[in-house]
Amino acid sequence: MNETITLAHGSGGRQTNELIGSLFKKYFDNDLLTADDAAVLPRPEGRLSMSTDGFIVSPAEFPGGNIGKLSICGTVNDIACMGAKPLYLTCGFVIEEGFETARLERIVESMAKTCKEVGVKIVAGDTKVAGKGQVDGVFITTTGIGVIPDDMNVGGACAKPGDCIIVSGDVGRHGCTILLERNEFKIKADVTSDCAPLSTAVDALMGVTHDLHVVRDATRGGVGTVLYEIADQAGVGIELNDKDIPVDETVQGVCDMLGLNPLYLACEGRLVIVAPSEYAEDLVKALRTSPYGEKAAVIGQVTESNPGKVVMKTSIGTKTILPLPGGELLPRIC
Amino acid sequence: MSDVKKSAAEKAAEIIQNYDGPPIRIMEVCGTHTHDIFRLGIRNMLPENIRLISGPGCPVCVTPVGYIDEAVWLALEQGCTLCTFGDLIKVPGTDMSLAGARAKGAKVDMVYSPIDAVDYAEAHPDEQVVFLAVGFETTTPASCVAVRKAKEKGLTNFSLLTANKTMDNAYLALQGSADAFLYPGHVSVLTGTEIYERLRDEHGMSGVVCGFTGPEILTALALIVKGLEKGEPFCANAYPRVVTAEGSPEGRELIAETMEAIDTEWRGLGVIPMSGLKLRDEFADYDARLKFGIPNMEGRANPACRCGDVLQGKIRPDQCPCFGKACVPEHPVGACMVSDEGACSAFYMYNID
Repeated sequence: MNETITLAHGSGGRQTNELIGSLFKKYFDNDLLTADDAAVLPRPEGRLSMSTDGFIVSPAEFPGGNIGKLSICGTVNDIACMGAKPLYLTCGFVIEEGFETARLERIVESMAKTCKEVGVKIVAGDTKVAGKGQVDGVFITTTGIGVIPDDMNVGGACAKPGDCIIVSGDVGRHGCTILLERNEFKIKADVTSDCAPLSTAVDALMGVTHDLHVVRDATRGGVGTVLYEIADQAGVGIELNDKDIPVDETVQGVCDMLGLNPLYLACEGRLVIVAPSEYAEDLVKALRTSPYGEKAAVIGQVTESNPGKVVMKTSIGTKTILPLPGGELLPRIC
Repeated sequence: MSDVKKSAAEKAAEIIQNYDGPPIRIMEVCGTHTHDIFRLGIRNMLPENIRLISGPGCPVCVTPVGYIDEAVWLALEQGCTLCTFGDLIKVPGTDMSLAGARAKGAKVDMVYSPIDAVDYAEAHPDEQVVFLAVGFETTTPASCVAVRKAKEKGLTNFSLLTANKTMDNAYLALQGSADAFLYPGHVSVLTGTEIYERLRDEHGMSGVVCGFTGPEILTALALIVKGLEKGEPFCANAYPRVVTAEGSPEGRELIAETMEAIDTEWRGLGVIPMSGLKLRDEFADYDARLKFGIPNMEGRANPACRCGDVLQGKIRPDQCPCFGKACVPEHPVGACMVSDEGACSAFYMYNID
C-alpha cells in the first residue's frame, strides 16, 4: 500500500480493491461481510432500533480515542439507549487525498477493536476519496441496527415526577479533551476523552429492571442539554444536586479557567438514566460494576414543580436555575 | 448544632439571613462576581432588607459605543485584522457590531490572550494586526507584555486599540450608589488593598475584597452586614488566599512603564478623570489611534438602550423595557446583554422571576 491515500484508491479499480483488502477486510472481516452489493442479514427477532451518525471530529486522533472509535461508539450507544442489543453496522468513509495510510490503519484497527468489544459486526461499507481540501482528513458515517426486547419502552417523554436521575460517570471529558487538543487556549492538562461503548452498561441496567423510563447517550451539548430535552419532552421539572455530580478535578479546573460548565461539554461515553427511584441504588451498583461506569451516581430527581426547567441545588444550599445552553464556547476576559 | 460544627459558609449564611436592620444596598463591581452570585443562587437567599446591586464590573459593558465604531473603521476602512476577546464580537456599535463587520468581509479573530495576537502578527507579516485592548487591572499587564514583545521583535504590523481602565477613580464616581461594596477579587490581586483603606479613610466608603466560591462570597457579605451594623466606614480582605495587602508591585510597575493615565469615558458613568490608560510616547508606534489616524468617533447607542442606568445600579436589568424582548443574547441592544460578565446576560440566563 502507498504511504498516503490517493484518488486512485477511490476510483473502484485495482487500488480500491487493494485498500479494501489490506485495511477494511483485514480488520472488519466476518461471515456477513461479503463483496456483494448488499449484506443479507438473518431475520431479526423483535422490533428493530436503527440509528445513523456522521463523524467529522477534528483532530481525528485525541487522548482516549480517535474518529474511528467514536464512529462505532456513537451509533452503538444510540441503539443501546433504546434498550436494543446492537447487532450490525455499516460504515462509509470519505477520505481526503493525501491522508496518511498508517493513520487510517490506526483508525480502522481501533474501530475493529471496539466492534469486537461490543460484539457488533460491520456488514457493509463504502469508500470514497475526495480531492485535497474537499474534506478535512477523514469523515466517517456509521449506521446501525439492533433488536429491542418487547417490554422495553424508553423515551424522553416517559420521565415521571419522583424518578431518580443517574449519570454513568464523570461529565464533560470528551468536550474538554477536544477543546484542549485544538490548543486555541494554550492550556496543557491531562484529560482523556470518555469515548466508550455503552451497550454492556445498558445490559447491566436492564438486568436490574426493564422499567427504565429514559436512557440517553449524552453527546454534543453534554448532560445539561439532555436534561433540558427530557424536561421539555415530559413536561416535568428536574432538580440536581451540584455536589453529587461527578466531575474530574482537571476538567473542573479547565472549566473554571475558561468560564465553562462541565454539564454542557460533550461526552461520548456517558449515559443519563431516568428511572423509578426504588431502583436507584441497584442501578448505580450495576453501573459501577460494568465497564466505564465506576463513577456512576444519582445526581438528582424529576419534579412536578418548575416544568421545563432544570434547577440546581448548589453546594452552599441555595437553589438556582441551570442556565439554558446556547451560543459558542467563548473564554472569559478576566 | 453547636457553632463549632457549622461550616464558615453556614455561619455566614446565618448572619446574612438573620439581618433585621434597616435596608442596605451592596454593590458588586466585578463581572465574574455578577455571574457567580447568580450561579450560586445567592440572590435567592438574601432577606428583603439586603439588596444586591450589579455595578460597572464588566470591562466590555463599560466600553463606549464609539470604541466599537473605531474597531469597525480599522477593519473595514483600513483592512486591519482585529484580534479580540470573544465578548466584544457581538457588542453593538452605532451601525454594526464586529460580527456585523465580519459579515461584510472584516477579518475578526478571537484570541484568548494579547500575546496570541502578537504571535499571529509575527506569522502574518502582510496583515496589519490590531488587538482590542479592553479590561481592568487584571488584564492590562498582558497587553503591556504584548506591546513590549512586539517592540522587541521589531514588528511593524502590530498595534493596540486601547480602552483599558482602572477602578480607583471609578469607585469615587460610584460613591453613594451603595452602602458598601464587594471589591473585585482579581483586580485586587494586582492593586493590593491599600486603595480600599484610602477609600475608607478619605471618603468614608466601605467594602470587602471578595473571592469567587460560595463560602468566600457568603463570608464577604456577612462581613459587610456586620460592618454596616457597627456604623463606621470599614474595609476588609475576605480573599486572603490570593489577595495580599501589597498586591503585585511588578504588575503595577509594568503598567506604569508602558501606559499612562488619561481621562476616559465609561458607558453609563460619563468621563471619569484619570481612569483610563493609553500607551506612553515610546510605544506610540503601537498605538492604533496614532498609527492609523482614526477620526474622532462619538458613537451613538440605540436610544432604547438603558445599559448606562443598569451599570450604575439605578435599574435592575429586568426593569429595562428592552429586556428579554428586543434585547436578548442572540440580538442584543446593548453591551450588558452580550458579555458573559454583563448584568443583563446574567439576569437573562438565570431566568430571574
